[in-house]
Amino acid sequence: MSRAVAGAPFRRLAVDGDRLLAAVCLGVPTLGLMVFFLYPMVIVFLRSITEADGGYGLANYAEVLGTRGFWRATRHSMEMGAATTAISVFLGFIIAHGLHRCAFRGKSLIRAAIVLPLLAPSLVQGLGLIFLLGRNGLVNRFMGTDLDIYGFWGLLIANTLYALPQAVMIIGAALVLSDARTYEAAEVLGASPWRQFRDITLPAARFGILNAAFVTFIITITDFGNAAVIGGDYSVLATEIYSQVIGQMNFNLGAVVGIMLLLPTVVAYYIERQASKRQEGQGGGAAVPFVPAPAPARDLPMGALSFLIAAAIALVIGIVVYASFVKLWPYRFELTFKHYAITLAGGYSSLWTTIYISLIAATGGTALVFLLGLGLRRAPAALARPIQMLAVMPAAVPGMVLGLAYILTFNSTATPLYLLYGTAALIAAVNFYHYHTQAFLTVMTGFRQLPAALEEAAGSLGAGLGRIAAGVIAPYLAPMLVSAFFFLFMRSMVTLSAVVFLTTPKLTVASVTIMRLDDAGLTSQAAAFSTCVMLVVAAALLGMKLLMRRFGRAGRATGTG
Amino acid sequence: MDPTRFLDVVRLTKKYGTFVALDDVSVTVGESEFVCLLGPSGCGKTTLLRVIAGLTGFDAGDVRLDGRSIADLPARKRGFGIVFQSYSLFPNMTVAENIGYGLRIRGVPPERVRARVSELLEMIRLPHLADRLPWQLSGGQQQRIALARAIAVDPRVLLLDEPLSALDAKVRADLRGEIRRLQRDLGIPTLMVTHDQEEALALADRIICMNNGTVVQAGTPEELYLRPATRFVADFMGTSNLLDTAQVEALFPELMASRPAEAGVRYHACIRPEHVGLRPDPEGIGTVRTVTFLGNLRRLEVETPAGSLTVETHGSVDVPEGSHVALSVEPRHCTWVIDDMGTAAPGGRVS
Repeated sequence: MSRAVAGAPFRRLAVDGDRLLAAVCLGVPTLGLMVFFLYPMVIVFLRSITEADGGYGLANYAEVLGTRGFWRATRHSMEMGAATTAISVFLGFIIAHGLHRCAFRGKSLIRAAIVLPLLAPSLVQGLGLIFLLGRNGLVNRFMGTDLDIYGFWGLLIANTLYALPQAVMIIGAALVLSDARTYEAAEVLGASPWRQFRDITLPAARFGILNAAFVTFIITITDFGNAAVIGGDYSVLATEIYSQVIGQMNFNLGAVVGIMLLLPTVVAYYIERQASKRQEGQGGGAAVPFVPAPAPARDLPMGALSFLIAAAIALVIGIVVYASFVKLWPYRFELTFKHYAITLAGGYSSLWTTIYISLIAATGGTALVFLLGLGLRRAPAALARPIQMLAVMPAAVPGMVLGLAYILTFNSTATPLYLLYGTAALIAAVNFYHYHTQAFLTVMTGFRQLPAALEEAAGSLGAGLGRIAAGVIAPYLAPMLVSAFFFLFMRSMVTLSAVVFLTTPKLTVASVTIMRLDDAGLTSQAAAFSTCVMLVVAAALLGMKLLMRRFGRAGRATGTG
Repeated sequence: MDPTRFLDVVRLTKKYGTFVALDDVSVTVGESEFVCLLGPSGCGKTTLLRVIAGLTGFDAGDVRLDGRSIADLPARKRGFGIVFQSYSLFPNMTVAENIGYGLRIRGVPPERVRARVSELLEMIRLPHLADRLPWQLSGGQQQRIALARAIAVDPRVLLLDEPLSALDAKVRADLRGEIRRLQRDLGIPTLMVTHDQEEALALADRIICMNNGTVVQAGTPEELYLRPATRFVADFMGTSNLLDTAQVEALFPELMASRPAEAGVRYHACIRPEHVGLRPDPEGIGTVRTVTFLGNLRRLEVETPAGSLTVETHGSVDVPEGSHVALSVEPRHCTWVIDDMGTAAPGGRVS
């Protein structure tokens, strides 16, 4: 090193350039996290303790905690969270066990059904249930019943159908790790299928189940869309924030409710992270993947149950698509495109806006997490650790709270940040920082797998950091970058809670339009608009699958060749 | 009951679609015998072991234990012990729980399980690891615990599926000794699958050499090494010079006397490198091309007008590269083997 510096002065310049570049890699994304995540969160906290006279105090808390509405919403959120979690984890385990531990045909159908809820805003389950079980639903119309789906039960079903796929994926990821040889060893030692399940499968899935429980709990208590569409009088914390802020224009009280929603989410998220770590510590990877042998006594009931649950998920979304083409639900079932002629709420302009915003969020977001990963790799541990912690924090913040924090921060003329208010860039930012953690962790997985020798080899050939990043690291990480990109794009297309406060009459997004159409009683048009969003997201998902398959093939080619 | 046929695999055939994985295979293991199934990857040895364990079904033949057919018995009722290459300890159980698992399944009272587990931990010399979890252990430790888990239940047959292949050379040698000692002490009939001929030579009472789903030759390690029946066995069991008839006539005509005269069969003379005599001779037929120093011996590539030979010499013969040498082979060191590789698909050469 010293010889290089002494022998060639221009080399030293290059080294310093590298250092500068590394600092920029770390600095820019960190600054982004500070301005677009940490600062707004501080603001929302400060506003929650700002009193009417401008001083700080706990008067807002006293006021909120003194109202019956708040306690009712809190109780509802906890009840709903607990009930949804219990059912989702139970049913999710059945499907995950069916997919990974049983032998039956048509698993790809179940896998497809599991993906469906990711394609649409979380209010689609509510819409579907209204078409099916609402006052003007199929069941009431043809069975002559008088069901009222609004309220606890409707919301419970909607939340379960929305959260269930997440539970399946998390538990499935825990089950897929186990090694076929372990089961064979147990079999040869004399363990019956039931004992193998009890002694190997359940313990292996333990942390997955715990994880799934906390994730579904967080999803449920922070979700806004289904609660707004089908919750009816059953108020929960997320709808309570909305009514404080939009209904009563009471920002400080909204901030208090936001902080109160933040608390259980942070706790649940913290425990979930610890559980994930334990799971990672345990997983040695499977030497030989488990392939279930047919066992009719187990496969038939498990397969039937799995299909039944998956069918419910698909049915509720499918009925939305179907209803969007039906002339007059539930009376005249001739097919028509008339609901697609949307004029209210800005028509389709919000769809194009959403695609545009999602592209910005995905492109900018992927670039930022890549830079951050690159910077962290070269940063000293004392600096890297707190930044890494900051980078995984956003997942603990409910979308409603982040959205509220944004409007409090960016709709205030106190700072030049006001210039961003009402722009597509700001909505892209809230979407990116809302989903920052997942995108960051995806890319970090790639960085962890990146062999240090690869960088060192390029470095010893004389490549600077910029060259290494572009020519060596980025291609290696391509699959992770692609999945981070599409993840951010798809989430931005459908998210509602974080953006509901940030849309303006001039600038609105697809999920908010769907909510407005539903509010206006134009349920069929809401369904039509939802269908369009699902089409875009499904196309994105397909594009990702095709790209990933190409990576897979390239990876195999280099692996064998 | 014939004690040499405690485990008796009779004319077993196993197909995967049109691919014949095991073709009319018969194998026996005696009451306290250590038998190795040796062959290149894909020869069917692991399939055979899995069929015996009851983990894989088969199409024709029978598997008998102590004179009775166990073909319809599920794996968990056979009372065997098995050890896999990948250790396969139960990740959520401690070492002691892993070893005691089979006993607990059999409903053995907890205090007896505890006693047996500590006895086994002593036996594998890891008593201090009882409360560890598998991921906290090295590969060698995990494999010894897997071995203890398999023998804890006093298995009627011990099945080992490449148990040493995932380990480092040093650990592998240690564990090899351990397996041999335990098997001798306990007298458990043992069948081990391996592709490593050295391992098979060191461990087995008897080696069953397989290729392309059939048994090519079975016998003691000495028999297989010194008297291979076919070219495949000769090639697989260490290094050898395989000379066709024309080469033998040109180089060592005195060996032709022992050549079997069966019509329509191609024979090769198998001569191990250490059995080729060599002395410096300016008029000699061979020219030393390369000399590789291997510590206790030297390996020479010697070129002759009839092809090149590999020769191993101990000690002090001074034959630098380029020098001329005379070659000789004692008739008792020449084995004529059937050429089974010209017609069948060539087996992978692992040596």
